[in-house]
Amino acid sequence: MTKDLKTHRLSTRHLLGIKDLQTEDILHILETAEHFKEIINRPIKKVPSLRDITIANLFFESSTRTRVSFELAEKRLSADVVNFSASASSVSKGETLIDTVNNILAMKVDMVVMRHPSPGAAVFLSNHVDAHIINAGDGTHEHPTQALLDAFSIRRETGTLKGIRVAIVGDIRHSRVALSNIFCLLKLGAEVMVCGPPTLMPKYIGDLGVKVEYSLKKALAWCDVANMLRIQSERQHLAFFPSLREYVMQYGVTRHVLDGLKKRIIVMHPGPINRGVEITSDVADSDQSIILQQVENGVAVRMAVLYLLAARQSM
Amino acid sequence: MNLLLKSIRVTQPGHSFNGKTADIFIKDGVIRKIAARVDARTAGKARVLDMKGKCVSAGWFDLRANFRDPGQETKEDLLSGLDAAASGGFTGVALMPSTDPVVQSKADIEYLLQKSSRHAVDVYPTGSLSVDGKGRELSEMFDMKQAGAVAFTDDKHPITDAGLMVRALQYASGIGALVMVFPDERSISGDNLVNESAGSVAFGMTGSPAVAEEVMVSRDLRLQNYAEGRIHFSTLSTAGAVDLVRKAKKQKHLVSADIAAHQLCFDDSALAGYDTNLKVLPPFRTRDDIKALVKGLEDGAIDAICSDHMPEDRESKEVEFEYARPGIAGIETAFAAAHTCLKGKLKLDRLVAKFTTGPRDILGLPHPDISEGAVANLTIFDPKEQWSPEPGSMVSRSGNTPFYGYRFTGRPLGIVNNNKTTL
Repeated sequence: MTKDLKTHRLSTRHLLGIKDLQTEDILHILETAEHFKEIINRPIKKVPSLRDITIANLFFESSTRTRVSFELAEKRLSADVVNFSASASSVSKGETLIDTVNNILAMKVDMVVMRHPSPGAAVFLSNHVDAHIINAGDGTHEHPTQALLDAFSIRRETGTLKGIRVAIVGDIRHSRVALSNIFCLLKLGAEVMVCGPPTLMPKYIGDLGVKVEYSLKKALAWCDVANMLRIQSERQHLAFFPSLREYVMQYGVTRHVLDGLKKRIIVMHPGPINRGVEITSDVADSDQSIILQQVENGVAVRMAVLYLLAARQSM
Repeated sequence: MNLLLKSIRVTQPGHSFNGKTADIFIKDGVIRKIAARVDARTAGKARVLDMKGKCVSAGWFDLRANFRDPGQETKEDLLSGLDAAASGGFTGVALMPSTDPVVQSKADIEYLLQKSSRHAVDVYPTGSLSVDGKGRELSEMFDMKQAGAVAFTDDKHPITDAGLMVRALQYASGIGALVMVFPDERSISGDNLVNESAGSVAFGMTGSPAVAEEVMVSRDLRLQNYAEGRIHFSTLSTAGAVDLVRKAKKQKHLVSADIAAHQLCFDDSALAGYDTNLKVLPPFRTRDDIKALVKGLEDGAIDAICSDHMPEDRESKEVEFEYARPGIAGIETAFAAAHTCLKGKLKLDRLVAKFTTGPRDILGLPHPDISEGAVANLTIFDPKEQWSPEPGSMVSRSGNTPFYGYRFTGRPLGIVNNNKTTL
């Protein structure tokens, strides 16, 4: 790593969201992630950087890839890791979140990675406990590491984010990925468009500085990168569209749709994919898709976040 | 209780001393003498208090408070709530019926009246509009009214069933009773966590749009017109709703409305830190909405300012925003909040009217008078005192307020009522 990187620390103790993160911090995380990406592709993927750090992964909402990605990132930095999973509803009826976390911290845990179904839960926790908090998704609010890995993945494909046009397609209303991506991409100079049915679009989303488009065709014709969001049926208590079939008719990306474009766009997806819904298999598995690169980059980006928040001076 | 208030400024529109200072002599709870100067010898052994710079008005009345008694006495009970009310300058309080169990029988009303009968603050209970507050069948309004209920409401539970609403308005009009409603179309407002606006889209919470309030006000005005009853809208928060009420008043509909004092002090951008003490129902709206509320107070579309006192314990507030219970324990800060946030926008005597004649007219209660021979029902306050509430300084059993450290101008100092004083 360069000398510069070794001495630069993040301006924050926690990673609660992208909205309040400084652009310099984002760039620094992405730079650091480049080094970790190189490391995890070595025959020996592990570094001893966080060997005296204990990290608790608290997942109050089911997750496979984010939890595994964080756990691998932690293990490759040689941190000690404990995992705690519970449904938030059962926890909310008994022990409070503060008590749960303080009990874990009493066992000398340094950092907490938390996923929680309630928006603002990470902010709330950071106000009440004494540990570094990393938000691994708080309800429909933010998912900062996903946005960082998405930005990282786009940048690796295009070389820059300045002026790159990114369309985020799907359930914008219930998506923490959309919100964090919007904040992150705008800070890095990209142009952002959100696309989906009006019922899945927050009424004032345009005030964040993004374009709003209801037609997938127009959105794809505009963009360089399409980030296809998962339809979150678990967050939809009400029917926001008549049927999945009708959603696919309007917003599903197929090979045919891609071939109809006059250019070659990059297709992304935060996973897990509903194959045949947001994108068909021949799109997901095509050379335009960088979905698996996103997953690989996720580990590197999370290593960078953990490493920088622990404020290590060198690897 | 004998008192001589020296050099106190009278704040009561129409009063011969309005805006002027006077001496007021109170003997055995009755105003015996009010004059530019009352000799201390006339007052005999009365306590003499120098009130230079302080104001007196008719006792303030809170149109909406929850004292959680019976059922949740750890948050508040009737007597702690009344002490808090006195500290907030109120001599009368209309209590919401959503206790546990809800207030829905003669016995429930009598419990509240009897238990509070020796206090300086008068209780005016409201009864549940529907059985168990569930919004399905009408409760026994007549029986409760006979026992002393002043109005009927399901508190913060909107009446979703339009048929029930019509019948409630019709039945209440037959017995000369008032229906109070909280207008909110729940199928639109959802969890009501935050206002839907440009300011809150970044918070990641599905917002409640203003139209959820407006559409319910609109519906209920039509139903009120049809039923020919009286309706009162509680805690309005949106510009559109204020406008609808204003228009209905112009058309001589029997309609009235109040707002909660704290709605004047915060807009929805305040929720950026997910402070659960700022979680209220209805949610804080936009700056434009606040302007519309102020205009409504000025032109009379809004009749009263209430505390909307909703005491909550720490366990109900020190949790994730989504799980926190809404509400502010606001009865001690309602006047200070309104006075501070309306500074330069509403004259003092007009503001005081929103705490005195406004709420009493809604309930059809007589106005306390500051005249010789009248029972002393007074609030004494300092419109200039600067102060900040501090944790632990509240009289209420609950401390859920966003006003700790907030710079208030204006403070209630005490009340005189029922031959008692807190001065």
